[in-house]
Amino acid sequence: MKARIVASLALVAALTVAVSTATARTDGPARSSASKITVWLQVDAQTGWPDLVASTNQAFQQAHPGANVDVQYQTWGDHLGKFDATLAGGSTPDVIEMGNTEMTKYMAAGAFASLSADRSSFANSKNWLAGLTASASYNGKLYGVPYYAGSRVVTYRTDLYKKVHAKAPKSLAQFTGIAKKLRARNGKKSFSPVYIAGTDWYFAMSFVYDYGGTIATFSHGKWHGALTSSKARAGLAAYQRFFGTASRASKTGTEDRPQPYDVYAQGQAASIVGPAWFSCCVGAKYKGVTGQFVMPGHKAGQSMPGFLGGSDLAVPNGSNDKALAKDWIRIFTNTASERTLQAKGNIPNATNLLGNSVNERAAKRSWFVPTAKHWVDVENGNVLRTMLARILTGKDSIKEATSSASDNISLTLNRP
Amino acid sequence: MSSSPVPSGTAFAAEASLRPRRRRPFSLAGALRGSVPYWLILPVVGTIAAILGYPLYWLVKLSFQRYGLFELIQHKGVGVGWANFRSVLHDSIFWDTLVRTVIFTVANVGLTMVLGTLIALLLVQVSSVVRVLLTAGLVLVWSMPPVVAVQVWLWMTNYENGVLNYILTKLRFGNYFQHDWYASTFSQLGLVTALIVWGAIPFVVVTVYAGLAQVPQELVEAAEIDGARPWRVFKDVTMPILKPIFLILTSLSIIWDFGVFTQPFLLIGQSRIDTSNYLMGIYLFEKGYFESDFGRGAAISILMLLIVAILSVVYVRRMVRIEAVE
Repeated sequence: MKARIVASLALVAALTVAVSTATARTDGPARSSASKITVWLQVDAQTGWPDLVASTNQAFQQAHPGANVDVQYQTWGDHLGKFDATLAGGSTPDVIEMGNTEMTKYMAAGAFASLSADRSSFANSKNWLAGLTASASYNGKLYGVPYYAGSRVVTYRTDLYKKVHAKAPKSLAQFTGIAKKLRARNGKKSFSPVYIAGTDWYFAMSFVYDYGGTIATFSHGKWHGALTSSKARAGLAAYQRFFGTASRASKTGTEDRPQPYDVYAQGQAASIVGPAWFSCCVGAKYKGVTGQFVMPGHKAGQSMPGFLGGSDLAVPNGSNDKALAKDWIRIFTNTASERTLQAKGNIPNATNLLGNSVNERAAKRSWFVPTAKHWVDVENGNVLRTMLARILTGKDSIKEATSSASDNISLTLNRP
Repeated sequence: MSSSPVPSGTAFAAEASLRPRRRRPFSLAGALRGSVPYWLILPVVGTIAAILGYPLYWLVKLSFQRYGLFELIQHKGVGVGWANFRSVLHDSIFWDTLVRTVIFTVANVGLTMVLGTLIALLLVQVSSVVRVLLTAGLVLVWSMPPVVAVQVWLWMTNYENGVLNYILTKLRFGNYFQHDWYASTFSQLGLVTALIVWGAIPFVVVTVYAGLAQVPQELVEAAEIDGARPWRVFKDVTMPILKPIFLILTSLSIIWDFGVFTQPFLLIGQSRIDTSNYLMGIYLFEKGYFESDFGRGAAISILMLLIVAILSVVYVRRMVRIEAVE
């Protein structure tokens, strides 16, 4: 009898826990009123250029007295899920920052207001970066304003390179030679001459494009996975060799856990690959002995094509005040704002603003993901990461891994 | 209580059947008095119906619709009949995931129950100081939110400087320098199992321990005088008395572990999750949310609900039958 009482008490306790976790998830975005716009920016703006956001809001409020801006910072990992929730609830933000690889799916679904008619009212719109403009266009219409771009470079320790009498390499073979020398000089087992996370697909695909391969092609109204081509396979073989020589990172690890710059700041790497802004966080100890160069390709003198990342700003169809939203974007992407972004190590959104930084030089040879509606599913499904992990750990040969990844990509991209 | 050696369930049944049925003439006061329990339970039933019933209605409705991102923006789904269920049931990933999840659930529930019961039995034996320390430790584990626990485990199993690799190497279990705990599916799900069992044990221990305190000492003594060994005492005296507790704990564990999401999703990490390490909860999330196919996601969650219901019913019936036989 008492055992039953204990059992029912246990049940009550368990249900209480269940209910408390269920009620913990009731927070939603507040519905914006007409004189207030809600802006979703990524945390990059919060950590990198909060002053630009503040000055934009100030200028916006001067132009529209009484109007308020509520900037809500989001993380890349979950902002789409939250955005979906607001689409369902009908209280979308008025401006949203989207990664350039995320745009297509939402443009195809009709989530954003067309900006085609307003294009000329945005600064430098004639000279916008072609890659970013393409990522914000669908069926000939414009749905987003290029915000900024970022390319990937090599960040390196000048002191360690000097010790092995090396300068910024001009070819992949030269770079491999330097990596070998760095390894020979540093006996520590966890030390990486070039720290590369095993499944850093942005970096690995650069090898594919450098050897003339591509991820997928579009013909006769269908997408075709193209990693099975001999060129793509040669690129992946080169990646496998370079990783083996240069990196002691986890073969199944990702480029955000741990952050490469943390590994670098701990003195565990002579160089790291990634966005140019990595120079921000290399640690006080190495700040003075840190340089950057453009990743060299396998042909001497030619840089390796890098992934051109970037962000666009879009106005969701559910926005209550599209005119105010567009105006906020106008200020946030005007020439002065873009110059500020450039000073922080980003690539500004237009060719007429481009300088000669290592970031901007790296952007000259770049590649971009297939602009298919379902590309984001390939990314979220970790198709390329799985392929790389299987190749590097030796579970699959390059031939097997590319065949299954390529089939998977074709299947996903052609989904209705 | 201790006067009757007959299991209480049977005692009730016997009493009910022996009681003579009396028919009272109908009276309004009597009917009102009789309906009091129903009035008392009405607010609870009403609240549960509102909280669970409405979303459930929508879930079922959604599962028969094509409801993707486009439909989400239009706030209008397109009826497609059984197409979502058909496509899920024809998906080989679904069946692979189901088998993996069932094995995973059995391992997790089994380990949780066995280890939890053993620790509860240990608690009875140790001195009160040790008991307080042990209970305090267990409560600390229980009170740790899963997200925080995952961070701690990630830190311990870190590839570069994880304390687990360091200790295993120092203790000469082999060379665990830069051992990658997330390299294979087995290792990934093994870690998730360890994390879940670790987090679930306190609840089982505390509950079973409370139940053990109710086992009449004279029964145990009598069995011991008759020459029963500790295992026999546990099997034939303690177990039958604790059966309702085991029943509820196991059912709850099955429900929790079958649909578990937070621990595997965060520990394995979004960027390592692929079809080879899907559990049902993650499969549902990937198909429903990441691929923005909400109709199909609803169909998956209804199927999950049915599977858990079947698993639980099979288990409960088995337990009840054992009780009836005894």
